[in-house]
Formats: sequence, C-alpha cells, structure tokens
Amino acid sequence: MSSTSLSVRRDMGTRAVANRPGFLAALRLEGIKLRAQLRTKALLLGAVIVPVAVVIVVHSQPRPPKDTLFGRFATENGFAMALLVLGFASQWLLPLLTAIVAGDIFASEDQHGTWKTVLTRSVSRSALFWAKTAVAVVFALVALVLLAASTIAASLLIVGHQPLIGLSGQTIQPHAALGLVAASWASMALPMIGFTCLALLFSVWSRNAAVGIAAPVVIGLVMQLVGALGGIETLRPYLLTTPFEAWHGLMAAPRFTGPLLDGVVTSAGWSLVCLIAAYLILRRRDITGG
Amino acid sequence: MRRFIITVIAALAVVLAVGGAVVAGTGGGSSVTKARLERSLPTEFANLYADQARLLGHKGVTSASLHAEAMCDKGGAVEADVGPGSNWNCLVSWTDPNVPMPPEGYGKFELDVHSNGCYTAGGPSKLVGFQTLTDTKGREVTNPVYEFDGCFDPNGDNTPTGNEFPSLLTTTTTALLPDAQNRVSLQLSCGTGSTGCTGSVAAAAGSTPLGTVPFDMQEENTKTLHFPQPVPQGAPNVTFTITTTAGVGPTSPATLNMPPR
Repeated sequence: MSSTSLSVRRDMGTRAVANRPGFLAALRLEGIKLRAQLRTKALLLGAVIVPVAVVIVVHSQPRPPKDTLFGRFATENGFAMALLVLGFASQWLLPLLTAIVAGDIFASEDQHGTWKTVLTRSVSRSALFWAKTAVAVVFALVALVLLAASTIAASLLIVGHQPLIGLSGQTIQPHAALGLVAASWASMALPMIGFTCLALLFSVWSRNAAVGIAAPVVIGLVMQLVGALGGIETLRPYLLTTPFEAWHGLMAAPRFTGPLLDGVVTSAGWSLVCLIAAYLILRRRDITGG
Repeated sequence: MRRFIITVIAALAVVLAVGGAVVAGTGGGSSVTKARLERSLPTEFANLYADQARLLGHKGVTSASLHAEAMCDKGGAVEADVGPGSNWNCLVSWTDPNVPMPPEGYGKFELDVHSNGCYTAGGPSKLVGFQTLTDTKGREVTNPVYEFDGCFDPNGDNTPTGNEFPSLLTTTTTALLPDAQNRVSLQLSCGTGSTGCTGSVAAAAGSTPLGTVPFDMQEENTKTLHFPQPVPQGAPNVTFTITTTAGVGPTSPATLNMPPR
C-alpha cells in the first residue's frame, strides 16, 4: 500500500470509516460476480424445480417410503411429504448446495490467478474476506428459502393439506402443521451456515475448488455416520449434522426444543471456528503469484 | 500439495484424539435409555390406538382411558438396556373394553431405535391387527398402530418408571421326537420380561408319569427339558403340565401326539 493512500485514510478519520466503503464495494462486486455465474442460476433454478419433481415422483409411488421419518404418510399427506423431503435434503443436499458456491468462492481466485489483481485495487484482504463470506452465506440462505418454499408449496398443492400425525401420535391440524413444517425448514438455516463456513475454510485452505466443494459434503456424511453409531453418542452434540435433526422436537407432543438450542450453539461454534481459521490463513498467506 | 495433505492428516489425528478423549471421559453415555422409551412409547401408542378405535367405530376409547404402560428391554438379560439398536423390545399393557388382553396382560412391540432418539415400533398383530384395516365406512385404510415412528426428547426425564411385566413362557415343540429309549423332550421359550421363567413341567402319558423336570431360565432364552422315564409302548400322546413360580405360563396343559411307528 502506498504512502499516499495511507495519508488519504488518515485524512478520512478513523480506520473503520475508511474500511467501510471497501467492504461495501467488495460486497457489491462479489454479488455481481456470483450472479453472473451460470452455476448460481442453475442451482437456484434447481432448488425451485427439483423438489416439484421429487414430490410428483414420490407421490406416484404405490408404497410409501417408510424407512425415512414421515415417509409412511408422505403419499397421502402434504405436510409429511414436505418433512420427508426435509429429512432427505438435510443428509447431503443442503451441505452440497452451499458448498458448490462457498467452496469455490476463494479457490476460484487461485484457479484464475486473480488474487493479485483484486488485492491491488483499493480493497483490503479482510474486506474481501468478509465480502466473500457474506455473499456465500446470503446465497446459502436464498437457496434454502427457495428449496423450502418450493417443497412446501409443491407438497401442499400436489399431495394436499390433511391433518398430520406427529411424532408422539398426536394429530396436528393443518394450520398448526404448516407453521411447524416451515419452522422445521427454518431450523436448517444455522447448520447450513455452519457448512458454508466449513466450505469457505476449505476453499481458502486448499486453494482448490474441488476440495472446497467435496470436503464439506464428505465431512458431513462422515459426521452423519459417526452420529448414527452406538457407543460414541457423547460426540453427537459436537457434530455439525446433529442440528439438522433438531426439528424432530417440534413435531412431538409435548414439544421439546433442547436439541434446537443445542444446535444453535453447535452451529455457531463451527461457523466461528471455521471463519476465524479461514481468516487467519488468508491474512497470513503470501500472495505473490498469479 | 504435499504440505496440504500432511496438514489434513494432522487435523484428522487431532479430531480423532479429541473425539476419543470426549468418549473416554464421558463413558460414551447414550441418550437412548429404557426410561425415556417407557415414557414415550405408551403416550404415542395411546394416541394412535385412539385413532384406530375411531376408524373401527369402537366406543369409549380415548388415549387417557387406555392407561397404557410399557416396560422396555434391549437384547434380553445379557445386554444393558441403553443405546440405539434394532433389538429393543417393549411390553405394553393397556385396557380396551372392546379387545380383551391375553393372560400375561401385555403385548410385545419390537423397536428399532436410532441414536437421535427416533424409533420405529411394530405392534403385536394379534392385539392391534394387521397393516390395513376396514373402517366403519368399509374402506381399507392403514392401521395406525401396526407400525409407527416416534421420537423422544434426548434430554427428557430419565428416572426409572418402575414398570415391570413378567416373562411369557411358551412351548415351542410342535411334534414329539422320542429318542432310542422312547424318551421325549420339550422345548420351552421364555420371552422378554423382568422376571425370567422358573417352575417345573410334569409329563404324563395317559396315567403313566414320565417325571417332573424343573427349569430356571433368563428372559429371551430357550431350553430343552428331557424327561427321564420312557413313554410306554402304544401310548398315543403325552400331556405336559407347566407350573410357573416366575413368568406367565400356559393356563391349560399341552398335549402332543406320539409319532406313528
């Protein structure tokens, strides 16, 4: 950084004031870059269309898919269908969806050799880091909202909105069921952000988009396996996949929210650790190539 | 790239070490326990059974009127009643004026319990019926209690319920197979229960006693009893009278035919 730009900064007053336009400009540019990518459009379009296709296919099955929670009512109850898709999506679809963008967002600068180009503009590394992080998180949330809205709408329109049998055998009236199903989908947001941060970490660390995309999905599957094993269940609260199952408590009577609160802590912990590690790695990196 | 792989392996080693330390430090305690299942299953069963009664048009059945209670057990007497698995059995008792209970007073449910606190339970079809049933309007509908999914709170009340049901003792021999000296044997099966099965079996061929053999079995076990006296030539059948001091046995003597020579 040249001495003139430093003096300009001093003239503008505190450092925070000087940094803000940098972050906002980086955020705007990262947003434009993401929106321009074909994969972003394809993913968001897929999040809207694929659930409709899944609902139609499952609805036309002669026997309901009983091996998944709520599967046994899925062909005759729209709320059960939306929860069946939720259970399925949380196994690997949500980590994959967010990792495709977040796992690539730093590594693509390595791939294209553009680190030097972007950093020689008047934007700091930390501004760029937080801008990319914010864009990846916003994408994850937008994808989740689209997927949830599409699944719930398709389930209710195609299968119907009959009263739902909950996980304690209680009957949930359609109005209450809609709120609970929406809340269950909403509870995916925090663990999904956790997986976004994991993908960001791998993206920064490996400098390789393939690793950034695949590693969080594989880690997610491994965590799911570890969480399902007997004998080592004390590890469950520390796994990032456990919050994906916290919605079960909403569908029971009496309702229990302990797992949801634990999930907030788990997701926040993973997100923070991954972000701090990614930030430190990027700050310390020697960027001379490209 | 090489440095990256080394870092990944080092990170994995740290994760394994921390995970191992956590498991070792806490003893690997599971949230899947006998007490939590014994609270969750009867509640869910009662709700679903009331739905079934509505479908069948049975009157006077509500989830509260059933007074459902459960005793759960994992893997028989040899295994601790904790942790996920497909070898959980729960004995559930309830009162329905439309459907009398068997002498032991309960039905056996088989459960597949997962580590996240969710389970799939299969009901005893002799008491709850089969997969589909015909409702009051003549339609074939899914029987809600034949098989169902439920979840319990992994942080829920874990104090023992104290529910206890006796084991069910049954004979599993369907045809007699005399040995060279024409002596017979009888196989017994002791089902899930808190007590195991003890008692004795007296065998007689007509008026000829073949001896009385005691048994002492743990739950979820089978045992073959050999009777010391040979069956007299020409005796058409053997009658076994079972007396139990622990567990619930058959209420009437069992008669098995001798094979033709």
